[in-house]
Amino acid sequence: MTLLDIAIPSAPGRVTWNREAIGFVAGFLVLALLPLVFGDSYSRHVLIMIFIYAVVASNWDLSLGYGGVFNFGHLALFGIGVYAYSLLAKVAGVDPWIALFSSGVIATLAAVLVTIPILRLKGIYIILVTFGFAQLVMQVIISQSDLTGGTQGLVRVPGLYVFEHNMIRDGKLAYFYIALALLVASTLFLRLFVRSRAGASIVALRDNEEYAISRGVSLARQRMVTLAASAFFTGIAGAFYAAYQRNASIDVFGMSLATIILSMVLLGGTSTIYGAIIASFVLTVFSEAMADFGAWRPMITALLIIVIMLVYPSGLVGMIRAAWTWVAERVKRPA
Amino acid sequence: MSVFSDIVFGGLFQGSLYAMMAVGLALVWTTIGVFNFSHGVFMMLGAYFAWQLVAFGLPVVIAFPLAVIVMAGAGWILQASVVRPLIGRPNIVLVVVITTLAAGSLIENGALTVWGPRSKQLPSLIEGNTTIAGVGVSLHQIAIIVITPLILAALWSFLNRTRLGLALRAVAQNEDASQLVGLNVTALYGLAFAIAASLAGLAGIFMGGYRFMNPSMGADPLLKALIVVVFGGISSISGPIFAAYLIGFFEAASNYYFGLYWTPALLFLVLIGTLMVRPEGIFAGRSRGLA
Repeated sequence: MTLLDIAIPSAPGRVTWNREAIGFVAGFLVLALLPLVFGDSYSRHVLIMIFIYAVVASNWDLSLGYGGVFNFGHLALFGIGVYAYSLLAKVAGVDPWIALFSSGVIATLAAVLVTIPILRLKGIYIILVTFGFAQLVMQVIISQSDLTGGTQGLVRVPGLYVFEHNMIRDGKLAYFYIALALLVASTLFLRLFVRSRAGASIVALRDNEEYAISRGVSLARQRMVTLAASAFFTGIAGAFYAAYQRNASIDVFGMSLATIILSMVLLGGTSTIYGAIIASFVLTVFSEAMADFGAWRPMITALLIIVIMLVYPSGLVGMIRAAWTWVAERVKRPA
Repeated sequence: MSVFSDIVFGGLFQGSLYAMMAVGLALVWTTIGVFNFSHGVFMMLGAYFAWQLVAFGLPVVIAFPLAVIVMAGAGWILQASVVRPLIGRPNIVLVVVITTLAAGSLIENGALTVWGPRSKQLPSLIEGNTTIAGVGVSLHQIAIIVITPLILAALWSFLNRTRLGLALRAVAQNEDASQLVGLNVTALYGLAFAIAASLAGLAGIFMGGYRFMNPSMGADPLLKALIVVVFGGISSISGPIFAAYLIGFFEAASNYYFGLYWTPALLFLVLIGTLMVRPEGIFAGRSRGLA
């Protein structure tokens, strides 16, 4: 039983372009209309957080699910986005929108950097090095407390602006649509990437590395491309998170956030992109619904994750697919 | 001279704790082929069990070994609940990472609910202080430095000299063949986890005797143990032990020359550098395949 045996099922590009495009537009139209239903700023806050988590989780699905690269430093890329934005916008006084974009670029560069030591590694060793990378980033941020505020974090980070629009007194409407736009752009990018030839080649490397290499796929280049591609929107999501929360704290490097996001990826079902997005809705809403349970909340969430991993290994998307097949068969052949 | 003995002493002491943790991780990895991310939580749990038993009025001589035995049971239960059902799944390594992480979060928050966030401290193994080669040290720390190699030696001879230990290593080397010759593979998996959990619990008891304990005390030692196993090579028991002491010395020296804040960063740089040159770890011989 070696790690080479790992084959996460499902391949990209089964559904035709047209059908996926229709589903994509319809799905996001529904999301765009949600503020009409949810007028209060609390519900909108929850939705904004869901969108941020969905971006981070679905990008992780690219490297973890499609690429089969166990990048446990993914949340560090998010954290790099948070701190890059905060430092650029607050300390260096860069325009927030430029800072937001730059954070994505910086996270991408960091991902390229972390790829170098893992080029020759496999499986568990990648987990360990990327885990170490995340800790390294955190330690550097803590040690540079003059600039980053250390364990105290940074407060009063500049927020985003939209012309003269008042971002604070609109019931979070502007932030909602920026977050949604971010999710749309990220999902579009991810789906286009995984359906492209590059996407097919990283899946080939995951499923049969020797064969893929013998057919001329460069392992080093594709691994770097995978991680860099998964980093850009993750970094921007981090920057947006900092702009929205108006602060930066090292909590983003903690195990609890990483566990939650990772469970979104696995709960949704890997190698789907959409699964991670659906799971971030389900988990966040579930977690918010249990707000009254206090200390029991993380325990119930942990238990739920374990139970789902034990009984439903292919995740929520697997569940939905099974249900869909069942319905489709009934429709085709009425009993 | 005092600086030198400071570093040697600090290295021996930290190295002992790291070795106790890392050996458990390596044992589980070599036998089952999964990585146990709740190992740090085991350490915390061992310390809290011991504290609870002492609070019940048991003498330390009984309470500490009892806590270690209870930890063996806890390790077995964890293995049976979140690891064993997954064996045979194609993506077991990844799924076990998430289930052990979740189990760790469950236990940590459970400990927080049961024992509260207030810091606690365990009694020392031996009370008192002494001065050796110009360094003031507590007898508790000396006891750890002396006891750890004895325990590791006992573990080594268990794995190499007894039938049960050999069976454990047989499972690690070839699971199918072990099953063919009639070894109870599931029970041996449980045993590996039980031993690992006991060692982690013991490390927790050692740590609780000189530092305040809290429910998240295991996070940092887990991280260090991860570095140690990567550094020393994960596919053997002796590699991580040497690496643990080496890292202990490195840390003590770096703390002295570069300061407390830069040490973790330097440690990770060394780790990444090592992996680029020797991905199988510096003390690994022919490894169990790099996967």
